[in-house]
Amino acid sequence: MATEALGEERPALFLRKATGLVRGWSVRDSMVYAVLATNFVTLGIYEFTFAQAPFPTGQLITAVIISGIWVSFLVIAYTGLIVTIPRAGGDYVWQTRILGSGLGFVMAATGWWFILWLWAPIYGNILAVQLFEPLWATLKWTWPAGGAAWFGTNNGIFVVTLITIALAGLLVSIGMAGYARIQRWCIVGGLIGFLVVVALLLFNSHASFVSAFNQEAHNLFGVNNAYAATNHAAAKAGYTTHALGFGPLGPTMLLVPYMMFFLLWPNWGATLYGEIRGASDFRRVFTGMFGGLWITVILTVIFLLLVYKTIGWDFYQNANSLSYNLTPQFGIWPYPFMFAGWLVHNTAFQVALILVLSLWFFGWVGTLFLSSTRVIFAAAFDRVLPDRAAEVSEKRKVPVYSLVLMLLPAVGLAAIYAYSSTFRTYTLDAVLVIAVTYLFSSIAVVILPWRKPDLWRASPASKVKVLGVPIVPVSGVITIGLLGFCLYEWLFNNLYYVNNRSSLIYMGAMYVLAIVVFIAARVIRRRQGIDLGLINKEIPVE
Amino acid sequence: MVPVRIFFATDIHGSEICWRKFLNAAAFYKADMVILGGDVTGKVMVPITAHNGYWEVVFGGERRRIESKEELEKIQTQIRNRGSYPAVMSPDELDHLSQAEGAVDERFGTEMLSSLDRWLDMADTKLGGGQVPCILNGGNDDFFEIDPVIESSPYVTFAEGKVLDLDGFHLVSMGWTNPTPWDTFREAPEEELAPRIEAVAGLIPDMERAIFNFHAPPYGTGLDEAPALDSNLRPIRGGVVMQPVGSKAVRDAIVRYQPMLSVHGHIHESRGVKKMGRTLAINPGSVYGDGVLQGALLELNAKKGKVTKYLLVNG
Repeated sequence: MATEALGEERPALFLRKATGLVRGWSVRDSMVYAVLATNFVTLGIYEFTFAQAPFPTGQLITAVIISGIWVSFLVIAYTGLIVTIPRAGGDYVWQTRILGSGLGFVMAATGWWFILWLWAPIYGNILAVQLFEPLWATLKWTWPAGGAAWFGTNNGIFVVTLITIALAGLLVSIGMAGYARIQRWCIVGGLIGFLVVVALLLFNSHASFVSAFNQEAHNLFGVNNAYAATNHAAAKAGYTTHALGFGPLGPTMLLVPYMMFFLLWPNWGATLYGEIRGASDFRRVFTGMFGGLWITVILTVIFLLLVYKTIGWDFYQNANSLSYNLTPQFGIWPYPFMFAGWLVHNTAFQVALILVLSLWFFGWVGTLFLSSTRVIFAAAFDRVLPDRAAEVSEKRKVPVYSLVLMLLPAVGLAAIYAYSSTFRTYTLDAVLVIAVTYLFSSIAVVILPWRKPDLWRASPASKVKVLGVPIVPVSGVITIGLLGFCLYEWLFNNLYYVNNRSSLIYMGAMYVLAIVVFIAARVIRRRQGIDLGLINKEIPVE
Repeated sequence: MVPVRIFFATDIHGSEICWRKFLNAAAFYKADMVILGGDVTGKVMVPITAHNGYWEVVFGGERRRIESKEELEKIQTQIRNRGSYPAVMSPDELDHLSQAEGAVDERFGTEMLSSLDRWLDMADTKLGGGQVPCILNGGNDDFFEIDPVIESSPYVTFAEGKVLDLDGFHLVSMGWTNPTPWDTFREAPEEELAPRIEAVAGLIPDMERAIFNFHAPPYGTGLDEAPALDSNLRPIRGGVVMQPVGSKAVRDAIVRYQPMLSVHGHIHESRGVKKMGRTLAINPGSVYGDGVLQGALLELNAKKGKVTKYLLVNG
C-alpha cells in the first residue's frame, strides 16, 4: 500500500492509500463564490437606492465598513462550524446535530427554502432594472408599450420574474458542473465591466459627467438639463442631501441592517469536503470567505468614492430618493453604471457595458434554488417530507418534485410581488428570515464546546485562540449581537418596512408552515411505525 | 411472520467510537441483526514518539507533550475515535519509518490488524455471545489481510462472496468497487465486476427476498455523487460540482435482478435512498470523523418480500 508522510521535520502523521483523501478546495474558488454571493452589483447598488432615503444623515461608506467588520465575525463563527462539521447541508446539519431535529428543520426550511420563493421576484426585479430597463432605454426600443419603463410595471415585473424562475429552474436541472464554468467567466467579465466603469469615473471630471449626462438624457429620454432637474425634483419632494463623511454614528448604524441585504452572504456556498482536517483548514476556509467579503467591501467603497468624485454625491442621493419614492427621473431605476456608460457617446459601447455588467447577475442567479433542493432532499431522506420529494427523473436527471416544490410557490409569490406594490416593500423579509436561521447557527457555535465537547476538542477551530481564548465561540457571540441588533431594528423600526402586520403574518406563516410540516411528518410516520425522534438520537458508546 | 429489523452502517474507517456505537446499535434500535458494509480500517496513522519519561504527538494540528501513562491512554483513545491508529515508537523508529521503503506499510498493517483484533474481541463481549448476528464485509479500502481475521471470529460473520440466510432473506455481499483515483485494494474494471456479481447473485434461490450488500453504489442514482476532482485530487469549483462515481455493473445487476433491498456505502457524501423498480437502494453515508455513526434502520417483511420501513439515522 502506498503511503504518504505529512509533517515538517518529522512526520506528524502517515496516510495510506485510500479513497476520499482529497485536498481541500482552493481559496480562490471559495473567494469567487463569496464575491458572487455578496454581490456588490446586483444586491449592493440595488439596495443603496432604498437604504439612503429613509436615513438621509447616515453615511453609506461608514455603514459598509462597520458591516464588513461585524460580518467578519460571522465568517469566523461559520468557519468554526465548517471545519468542525464539514458537511453539505450546512445550517441544517449543524442545527439538527447541535440544537435538535425540530428546530433544525424549521430553521432550514424557512431560511433555505421557503424564503427563497421571495428571493425569486426580488432577483427578477433586479434583472429588470439592471438589464432590461437600461438596455431598452439605450436602444430606444418602444415595444412593449412604455418601452424601458414597461419593465417597472406590474406585468413587466411578473414577466421578468418568470424568466428568472425559469432560468434558475433550468440551471438546477442541468446541474452545477456546466454552470460553475459559466460562473468563472461571469466573475471575470463582471470585474472587467466594473474596471471599465472605474476607469470612466476616474478619468473623467464631474463637469464632463454632468455634460455627458445631460446630453444622453436628452438623447434617450428627451429631458433637458436632466442633472439639475433631478436635483431640483428631489428637493421639491422634500429630500435634503447630506455631505459625504463618516458620521453621525447613530443614523449610520441604522444603515447596517440594510447593508445585510448584500453583505450577509459570504458563507453562502461554504461547504468543505475532505476528511483529513488540520489547523491549516481553518485558515483556508476563513481566507476564502473573508477575502470574498472584503473584496466586496473594497469594491463598494471604491464605487462610492468615485460616485462622490465624478457623479456627484448629492445627485446620487437625489436620484435614489426619487426612485425610493416611486418617481424616478426617467421612469426607470437610476442605474449608476448606465450613467457611467453615458460618458462614452456610443450606443454599441453603452449596450456592451450593460451586457457585461449583467454577468454579475447571471453568475449568481443559478444558485437561487440550489440550496432549496439540498434541504428538500435532506428532509425527504429524513422522512420528514414524502420520499417522492427526493426523486430525480431517470432519463433527464431532473429533480422533478423538488423543483415543483420550489417553482410553483415562487411563481405564486412572484404574482403577489408584481401586482402588490405593498408586498414589494417587504424586500427585507427575505434577509430577516435567513438572519434568524443564521442566529440559531450562531447560538449553535457558541454552545458547541459544551454540547459536543469531543467534537470540539478534535476540531481545528478549538485551537484558534487570541490571548488563550478560543475565538470561534466569541465570534459567535459577536455575530449574535449583529443579528440581534438587525432583528431588533427590522422588527421595531418602521423605516425598514418589514414590521407591519401583513409582513409579519407573511413571515410568521412560513414558520407555522415549517412547524406544521414537521409535526405532521412525526404524526404520520409514527402511525406508520417510524419514529423520527431516532434520527439524531446518539447511540451510547459504552 | 415477525418482521426482521436490520441496522446497516458502513465506512467507519477505523473510528473506534463508531465501532462501539455499531456494536451497541442492535440494543439501541432494537435491531435483530447488524451489518457493516465495508471500509472497516482507518486511513491515518499518528506516530507518538516515546522519549525518556514523556511522549510527544501532533494531533489536531497541535504538538502535545504527554507526561503520564493515563494521559497517553487518553490521547490514544482520542486518536482511535477519530479513525486513526496511534503508533507508539522511539524517535529512531520514526526516522526509520520516514526513510525506509515499505516500513510504513508494514507498520500500518500491524496496527490495523491489532486494532481489528481488539474490535472483534469487543464484539464477542457486546453481542451476547452471538445472540445478535453481526455481519462484516471488506470494502475497497480494506487490505486483504483482514479477511481471514474476521473469518476466524466466532461471533462475527465475514460476508464476502457468500449467500447468507437471514431469517428467510438472502444476503449477498461484495466489497469490490469500480476504479477510483486512489487505486485502492478491492477495485476492478466494470467488466470484471459484472461476473463477480453474477457469481454471487446466481447463488440466490429467491430474488424476491434478496439483499445486495455491495460496497459500490449504483451509478447515476444520486447515491454515488462525489465532488468532481482535478488532476491534483482537489475538488473543483469549491466542491459544488458533483459527479456520479458509482458502478455501472452494480446498477445493471440491480435493474436486472430486482432484489428487495440493496445497501451500499463507499461514497460518504452521498447519503440517500433511491427506488429502482421494486428495489429499495440505500446509502446511509458516513461521517465517521465526527464520531457519528450514520446508518439505515430497516424493517423487512419476509411474507411480503418487501422493505416495510426504513429510516436513515445519525447515531
